[in-house]
Amino acid sequence: MGIGPSTKETSLHHFRDPLLEVVSADEELDLMGIIIVGTPDGNEEKMLVGTRTAVWAECMRADGAIISSDGWGNSDVDYTNTCEQLGIRGIPVSGLKFIGKVAGFVVTNDYLDGIIDINKSAEGAENNVLGENNVTELDCRKVTAMLKLKMRRAEEKE
Amino acid sequence: MSDKVKDLRRLVIKAYHMTEVVFGEENKIETNGTITIDKSAIAGFNKFADYIEKIDVQIIKPREHDRYTNTMMDIIPISTKVLGKLGEGITHTVTGAYVIMTGVDVDGKQTHEFGSSEGTLKEQLYLNRRGTPGDDDYIISFDILFKSGMGQDRHAVTCAHTACDHFIQVFRNQLKKFKGDLCTERHEYHDVAKPGKKRVVIIKQVAGQGAMYDTHLFGKEPQGIEGGKSIIDLGNMPVIVTPNEYRDGIIRSMQ
Repeated sequence: MGIGPSTKETSLHHFRDPLLEVVSADEELDLMGIIIVGTPDGNEEKMLVGTRTAVWAECMRADGAIISSDGWGNSDVDYTNTCEQLGIRGIPVSGLKFIGKVAGFVVTNDYLDGIIDINKSAEGAENNVLGENNVTELDCRKVTAMLKLKMRRAEEKE
Repeated sequence: MSDKVKDLRRLVIKAYHMTEVVFGEENKIETNGTITIDKSAIAGFNKFADYIEKIDVQIIKPREHDRYTNTMMDIIPISTKVLGKLGEGITHTVTGAYVIMTGVDVDGKQTHEFGSSEGTLKEQLYLNRRGTPGDDDYIISFDILFKSGMGQDRHAVTCAHTACDHFIQVFRNQLKKFKGDLCTERHEYHDVAKPGKKRVVIIKQVAGQGAMYDTHLFGKEPQGIEGGKSIIDLGNMPVIVTPNEYRDGIIRSMQ
């Protein structure tokens, strides 16, 4: 497992990324920046880079984070750890990931309740059709609304 | 603290729409909407001869997708900086035609990581996504035939991306000189700080494990290879970019 044709984000996708478009246009949100983090091989490194990402968000005093990945499988370890590290620092997180029928999280924790499935294929699997299961504008509207809801709930708890 | 929105910087992206891609005597892009490709000029990529057997360029017209394709490695817009660095100033980009890189080695091994998209193009390419061409777009197919055993070698794959970058650069250099007022679309983007609003970050988790599972950042040109750094070589550590840097093409997808 890794990144298949149906989920992978091409250079053109990054150039016209709907997630950036939706979040930056939202009048209620101050988008501070985009953190780009890799997915290393080793488990220790996976934990390290995700934790550094969460520390960065904390030091920026982020009120919330949206995480997006075009891979699944071993990269779930990175993804779920980053969600957890954000969560234990009190930063609400929502996210986009391919799940379908084949890509449920390989590891889980208590901070994955804001994750939205980007599957679009009828079979719910990696069908090798380039772009079919890519993130769309609708996915981005959903994940942004989800983050706002989580941030509001966090505020009410305080 | 004032709640006034602070404008940090401006990026203007001007698009030039292409309506025709043809073969001809030279590599040329014109404001009348025509791209001309000289196939013989691609033969000059012999510095990658240790890894690449042959490169072929094909023009695929809109709706003529009933044809074979090798696995699609990346789809790249033709964009170039005209003024300023990535994330600010002016960028020119092309609409109506996109470059698709495909790859296979001489033994028939496709250049892919998890899952391969080789087959009939119309069945393997989902059109009209943000990362794929639209119904009316031309595709410039940059098809790489790797030497034996090189189709999934990280250095060989990076060389293939570099060769494609050199091919695109010829058009970028002409696109830079296009008169600004002849553009078909103009988009203006501002990096802004909005005090008093909820402060959020986007986290993009990208590939960083090897050949066909790599991501380059900070090329000199939008989606460029030259000057770029592999996130693998950066230890996969988090890197932060501004919204304008991101939308100006700071990522070159290498998976």
